[in-house]
Amino acid sequence: MSALAAGEVVARIKANVGIPWRDTTYRDTFKFGGPDTVVKGIATTMFCSYDAIGRAVEAGCNMLVPHEDTYWNDRDDLSIVSGDPSYKLKVDFMKEHDIVIFRMHDHMHAQKPDFIYVGLARALGLESKYETAPQSHHFTLPETTLGEMAATFQKRLGDKALRVVGDPKAKMSRLQLGVGYATPSIDNPDVDVVLSGEQQESDGSFDSPAYVLDAMTVGIPKGWIMLGHNVSEEQGMLEMAQWIKSFTPEVPVQLVRSGEPFWVPK
Amino acid sequence: MRQISRRKFVALTAAGVATAPRGLMARSVGGTVTAQEIVDRIKKNIGVEWKPETVDTFKAGDPSTIVTGIVTTSLASLDVLGRAVKAGANLIISCEPTFFARADTRILPARRGPGTGAAAPSGAPETPLPADPVFMAKDAFIKKHNLVVLRFSDHWRLRTPDPFVQGLGNAFGWSRFADARNPKVYSIPETSLDALVSLVKKSLNARGGMRVVGDPQLRIRKVALLPGSTPIQASIELLPGVDAIIAGEVREWESVEYVRETVALGGKKSLTLVGRIVSEEPGMQVCAQWLKTFVPEVTSTWISAGDPYWRPTL
Repeated sequence: MSALAAGEVVARIKANVGIPWRDTTYRDTFKFGGPDTVVKGIATTMFCSYDAIGRAVEAGCNMLVPHEDTYWNDRDDLSIVSGDPSYKLKVDFMKEHDIVIFRMHDHMHAQKPDFIYVGLARALGLESKYETAPQSHHFTLPETTLGEMAATFQKRLGDKALRVVGDPKAKMSRLQLGVGYATPSIDNPDVDVVLSGEQQESDGSFDSPAYVLDAMTVGIPKGWIMLGHNVSEEQGMLEMAQWIKSFTPEVPVQLVRSGEPFWVPK
Repeated sequence: MRQISRRKFVALTAAGVATAPRGLMARSVGGTVTAQEIVDRIKKNIGVEWKPETVDTFKAGDPSTIVTGIVTTSLASLDVLGRAVKAGANLIISCEPTFFARADTRILPARRGPGTGAAAPSGAPETPLPADPVFMAKDAFIKKHNLVVLRFSDHWRLRTPDPFVQGLGNAFGWSRFADARNPKVYSIPETSLDALVSLVKKSLNARGGMRVVGDPQLRIRKVALLPGSTPIQASIELLPGVDAIIAGEVREWESVEYVRETVALGGKKSLTLVGRIVSEEPGMQVCAQWLKTFVPEVTSTWISAGDPYWRPTL
């Protein structure tokens, strides 16, 4: 059997993704190595961190399919990072191990279903019977308090640095799920609690903690649970690994977790 | 519309005096001053050119309102507005938006969300949104108490030295450790990251908003302060020269991953995030002090918006 090239893996991704490939994307492109790199194994991951690449190599994988950027800025603009010592060390390490990186972000979110949401709902235990309409990411759950809900989700995900805004005693039932930096608006009257990854604290549009603070003062039950960017989107990279495995039988495919980056003070 | 009669003003201030704690009471030193006059004095004293495009504008209330007292804050939450009223103040100067969005208007903007994300077909009339109870309650409170809200963010952070950095440094007790060459950097007596994080938490009354990247045992001598919200460029510029960055808010796919990787690659570095609003609190405390220097007619007081976050313990 002839060797599997990274370009062939990408061709199969494009053939199987189920939507027309948008060549204008700056995100879903090769970030290191290229189509000719011979693939020994494939690891999906949230962030291609040095640590995650190292563990992928240990597991016999040299192709990484991350959801996020490789060089600490969304466009992977090397002019921002190329003078930094960490950039040089990372590149040297990737060269040494014949690494190839192809990002899957825009097309992953455009896929039906979006594996990022599927994976997060699975990890949180949000069963589809609770989803208001398919792929609405809106769930009507048995009533609980914000405090209990946050504690349950934290335990399920092992999410040390989860952050919550709102009255812990406020009654919650209707949850709007967001992921990454796509945090739904909290002012929706059909939503008690927004759960997402990361969001700017202000200067957005009804998607930040200020509204929840004022709702609490007025006595309107609202909650905001932020899991962190990595934790919120990493779960779905398992579904992405299983999907890639279905059309690359020649090589092993697995999820390598980059993991939560934070610790928190007592 | 918001202008009030002289008699009503006297009645209002009398009511304010009855409820205001001592020391925070509005006082009169040589006449009255309006909110607009205070803004004019801010522009004269700020020391940087006033930008034509800026978020630093009135967000609510009539600029010709006679000011009974000034409150500065990082976030003009309803809770902060309530405490300002109790203190007898009616001009609130906020670093962050009042109406939950960068647009920061009293007119409710269109909502994003399930089924509403798609833009309306061109030419179709916009569907008016139902009244938002939180928005309405805040607007009604502002009207009822004749408050004036001014955002002050763009220009305040352009001053030299940056009052947000200076305020944070003061809050940590580091005013004499500031680096003369780089005003964002402090050379402090050696400590561990763990001890530094405890100091930060205590100094800022942080609750659940703090998150840290780096080895707790790491030795720290040089610290860079990045209050507010900062892009990757700021971290890349500062991290090589320091042991620790203490920041308000960064993008997690930028600076958090950059520091995490630098640590994994052997760099003796750390990043401590305190949250944007919390990181801007001491800078707004400095603002209240600064206002006193050219607004002698009324008191200027800082009110803490507090850490919005809490977290359950695993």
